[in-house]
Amino acid sequence: MNEEIISNLELTIPIERSIQAELLLLLGQYPSHGYELIQRLNDAAFKSGEADAATVYRNLRRMDKDGLIQSHWEVGESGPGRRLYELTPYGEDSLKLWAQHIAQQKTKLENFLQAYFQFEESLFKRKDGVKRT
Amino acid sequence: MIVTNKTLRIIHAGALQQVIEQCLERFTKQNPDLKFEIKGVGSREGAKRLLSGEKYDIIALADQALFAELLVPNLVENYFVFAADQMVIGYHRSSRGSKEITQENWADGLLKPHVSFARSDHRLDPCGYRTLMVWQLAENFYDKPGLFSTMEAASIPYSTYAKSLDLAGALFMGKIDYAFLYSSQAQQLGLPYLILPAKINLSNPAYADYYDQTAVSVESIIPGKNVIIHGKPIEFAIGIANTTQFHELAKSFVDLLTGSEGSLILEECGFIPC
Repeated sequence: MNEEIISNLELTIPIERSIQAELLLLLGQYPSHGYELIQRLNDAAFKSGEADAATVYRNLRRMDKDGLIQSHWEVGESGPGRRLYELTPYGEDSLKLWAQHIAQQKTKLENFLQAYFQFEESLFKRKDGVKRT
Repeated sequence: MIVTNKTLRIIHAGALQQVIEQCLERFTKQNPDLKFEIKGVGSREGAKRLLSGEKYDIIALADQALFAELLVPNLVENYFVFAADQMVIGYHRSSRGSKEITQENWADGLLKPHVSFARSDHRLDPCGYRTLMVWQLAENFYDKPGLFSTMEAASIPYSTYAKSLDLAGALFMGKIDYAFLYSSQAQQLGLPYLILPAKINLSNPAYADYYDQTAVSVESIIPGKNVIIHGKPIEFAIGIANTTQFHELAKSFVDLLTGSEGSLILEECGFIPC
């Protein structure tokens, strides 16, 4: 399978939704403003793609509206004031559900790979048998 | 409701004209007796006007860094980042070569004979110095040594369109083929535009260190002496003048712009509310 096909498969993963889980985790670690969250998200080992400012701010507004996070304006001590976001109890519950969901997905993917490797091995043995006869 | 016969004076980046007008429309409904004076300028020029003694109650600028450089703490105590944006290349239906230009070949397309492009004045307007930064970043990003100087030499003289609002108007009228603008301005005018790669369009805080390598020289707070400014992600900010006599009113207006109503207006006008 070439890299282009793998890249196309990745496009089918709903990045917009996984960004919400990633933002919940980052805000669970500590409260941040949007500018800092974009930097933290792009540095995170678990990022699902390049996070642009429009996508991050749009998701933060949506999550704020849905009660997953809350925000207030924080006056900057040596720089500009910015909207500071933090996780709500509802957001914490949602993050736990995300973690459970991702764990289930991980198990499913591991099972898939295990079954695939068995299939690949049987295919190899079958081809090897055909060659010998 | 705040009842007064006073006049609230607002100085704002030209690029924010539609946003300020729409906010005032709503604010006037809440404060029908209030009068306003609004002045749209290049943001660097706006900050300099305050420094020269002009009095305004609210200051909304296209570059948050201008507050720290020129206004805080003497003229403004606190300021708030409320919107982000990106640099784009705006064009129109009749722009020469517009069907062929892409993220990869735009510099070649703009530098063709008989193709005209322009930027605003970097001495007065952040969109002007941000365009110079885009050209500096593009030279490195596309590995085209000398691109910055070539673009600067081929561009229509920067003094022709002092602020990005003038530039957007000229593009809309078809006077030029291409203009380096904010995405929000192209969207407000319904003009097509080319999105530039994130590494050069000054939109993404993840590339803040990369943008920082750019440098443009502009006149400092001391007339006749220059200061070097570096590239940053594009952020608009608003503050209340220390000298305002209408602090409560000014704060109400800032609350409107930075609240949910303001976010909707900013989005409608093509900005990214922060």
